[in-house]
Amino acid sequence: MNKHPLLRAYLAGIAVPTVFLLVIMTVYTMVRYVYNLPVPIERVIVFPMAFVPNLWGLWNVLHAAFLAPRRVPLGIFGCVLPLLLAPLGYGVARLLDFPIPIHELNLAPIGVLVGMIVYYLAWKYLVSSLNVELGIA
Amino acid sequence: MSHDEVKDRAQLKDEFKDLREKLRGALPALGQPELRRDLWPEMLRRLEQPPVRVPWFDWVLLGVASAVAIFFPALIPALLYHL
Repeated sequence: MNKHPLLRAYLAGIAVPTVFLLVIMTVYTMVRYVYNLPVPIERVIVFPMAFVPNLWGLWNVLHAAFLAPRRVPLGIFGCVLPLLLAPLGYGVARLLDFPIPIHELNLAPIGVLVGMIVYYLAWKYLVSSLNVELGIA
Repeated sequence: MSHDEVKDRAQLKDEFKDLREKLRGALPALGQPELRRDLWPEMLRRLEQPPVRVPWFDWVLLGVASAVAIFFPALIPALLYHL
């Protein structure tokens, strides 16, 4: 299994957020259509559905191509991703006129820190183990 | 069993035989029915591997993230949005 290592890295990268997407879509459907929450989540659902998994895949490709040979830990590299995703997510929400509650914006610095922790753990344990399974690491 | 029934059964048997031969002809035989290498030693190696050890600071980080999620539940939708 030594063919197309970057393609395998991409697949390993998108696997984790794709699984989480099931959770997100379930929560979204429950909140929007069962509890009739008057927030137009469908306007911004494209971000977790398309942007995030692809960025995870590309992030893993970048690591496999340039940083793995230099022994940069995957967890550390993964925890940098929220610093890119947070402003992107905010930008998408603003572009699509999604109403962001002011208390969410006030909590943004804490949110980014927690996101970095969650990402660090997800990349260190989940993506890393997938990389091992696919023979990339 | 009547003569016609015996005849029908024999005809059906011939048709099945014919169909079987046609299917066998259509599907190519496996070129390599045996595995190239023995997978059992690899399986044993995998079984003998120590379980993943989680260092204490990762548990601390997990605790911190959980505590923040409990104290600031408004962050959970934002985190799900970015996952």
